[in-house]
Amino acid sequence: MYLQWIELVYSVLVVCGISTVLAILMVIADATIGNYGKKKLIVNNDKEFEVEGGNTVLTTLKEQGIFIPSACGGRGSCGLCKLKIDEGGGDYLPTELSWITKEEQKDNIRLCCQLKMKNDLKVTVPDELLEIKEYEVKVDKIVDLTHDIKCITFVFQGDDKMEFKAGQFVQLEVPEYELCEETVYRAYSISSVPSENKRFQLQIKYVSNGICTTYVHKHMQEGEIIKMNGPYGDFYLTDTDSELIFMAVGSGMAPIKSILMDMLERGINRKATFLFGAKNTDDLFLVDELKSLEKKLPDFKFVPIISRPEESKDWNGETGRLSEILPKYLKKPENTEAYLCAGERVIISYKQKLMELGIPENKIFYDSFG
Amino acid sequence: MKQSPQLKKAEEAMKPGVITGEGFLGKDKRHLIDILIEDDAEVSRSGLSHDIIAEKMKFFKEEGIKGEGLPVCVGDNFEVIVESVRGKLACPFGEPGLISKNNIGVINTKIKQEIHFTDFHIHMIEEHGFYQGKGSPYRISPKELIEILEIEPNE
Ligand SMILES: Cc1cc2nc3c(=O)[nH]c(=O)nc-3n(C[C@H](O)[C@H](O)[C@H](O)COP(=O)(O)OP(=O)(O)OC[C@H]3O[C@@H](n4cnc5c(N)ncnc54)[C@H](O)[C@@H]3O)c2cc1C
Ligand code: FES
Ligand SMILES: [Zn+2]
Repeated sequence: MYLQWIELVYSVLVVCGISTVLAILMVIADATIGNYGKKKLIVNNDKEFEVEGGNTVLTTLKEQGIFIPSACGGRGSCGLCKLKIDEGGGDYLPTELSWITKEEQKDNIRLCCQLKMKNDLKVTVPDELLEIKEYEVKVDKIVDLTHDIKCITFVFQGDDKMEFKAGQFVQLEVPEYELCEETVYRAYSISSVPSENKRFQLQIKYVSNGICTTYVHKHMQEGEIIKMNGPYGDFYLTDTDSELIFMAVGSGMAPIKSILMDMLERGINRKATFLFGAKNTDDLFLVDELKSLEKKLPDFKFVPIISRPEESKDWNGETGRLSEILPKYLKKPENTEAYLCAGERVIISYKQKLMELGIPENKIFYDSFG
Repeated sequence: MKQSPQLKKAEEAMKPGVITGEGFLGKDKRHLIDILIEDDAEVSRSGLSHDIIAEKMKFFKEEGIKGEGLPVCVGDNFEVIVESVRGKLACPFGEPGLISKNNIGVINTKIKQEIHFTDFHIHMIEEHGFYQGKGSPYRISPKELIEILEIEPNE
């Protein structure tokens, strides 16, 4: 019965799917018979490149040394590679529309891994992306922070170094191995300080069957060379003197740790509180290091919170969910900026609570892992 | 069994390198229709339907979301965590749109076994009765789901 139903649904889908099928056929036709010759690519009304037509804008820019964030290897499934196309983009493709909002359409924002160089094209690449480079780095040290989070230290080779702002992220290239037949990229926030520009650290949490995290946790070896590119992102401290509340669980600590260490180095003494959550005491990490910052940053408080205290261990810190504990530590919401680092769902729930407590939406900054 | 052109197209989209590098069929050399039939039979033998299984998966997801990225207890013997993971996948059966890969981990503390699934698995099971091919790293068999999530016919 179920199978008859399947067949029926597919018959219906034939009709509904005609447009999808046509789109796929167009993609295949494009890949096989498209010969567009040379095209002009103009970046920021300034740099002009002569390029081979027919490739995606993402690939074409990469060939010119311009890196656009991409976590899916250009399959149109991460939504990271958005750019403003000023001229020559043509109509939106069905594969772009799941990611581009109505507002973005008005601004000609396109998914540049889907859009091809069929015409001369004018594109706006934000200045910070022009700074992005690809590097080969050595895996220097792999340390377990908890049973499922590792801290990896990478060092740049030769004269290479990377200037970045505390809070930014890089993209690691995962080499081909049993879970991936072609290289893929994944984004990770830098947890170390920008002043150390010959090396950087990441905190990577294992995701069951995840391509990159399985590689990092089960295959990566100290001494190995891998490719990465960066830095990306605009999750960094504003230049105001508002009070600060930071919220994260697990590997969401990474960019916040970098920001705090940077505040210390740059002598920024804004009043700051870091609410950091874990399941139990075994899942908390770097507590001593962050606690010791309280002595060095005069107005800083580190609040480790566990959601499930174990009976066997005495815990006299905070217990519960971060959004439950938050009101106790948020004294002047109207004069506070919030910095959140977590998955999309968690950000939604923190944000809702922060706004309920009176923090204006434009003072809530986040780096969403999801 | 002979399969319709639509299933044939879905099978093509499931091969490595089309939607994902690894594809959805693993080393399973059977046609999609045969994979669907075998899993469908297993679900029917348990007195269940794909809908009932997907509903239970969604139940754990909704409970898990309440943990704000940390594990929560559900009932007497389950621990659930929902973690957002960047990236979405297109459905190989061809409807438009993309499905997210949020990772839902459920530990059944009574039988000391755990299972991880994503929104994508829920969609595949609910809409297509598809649990992925044998040997696909992402396959979750109906048996595993039924046992670990304790899914009963009368739910
Ligand atoms: C700006 C930013 C910063 C980030 N910083 C950090 C950080 O500091 N630390 C950190 O740990 N993470 C961070 N992340 C998250 C990180 O980028 C990855 O998303 C995460 O590590 C998972 O990657 P993965 O390759 O291991 O998983 P993926 O391979 O992307 O898989 C994710 C899930 O989808 C499932 N899946 C994949 N394919 C299929 C399929 N065919 N069928 C069914 N299920 C499937 C997998 O089983 C897994 O559960 C950040 C993300 C962003 C966007
Ligand atoms: S690179 Fe992922 S959507 Fe374009
Ligand atoms: Zn589908």
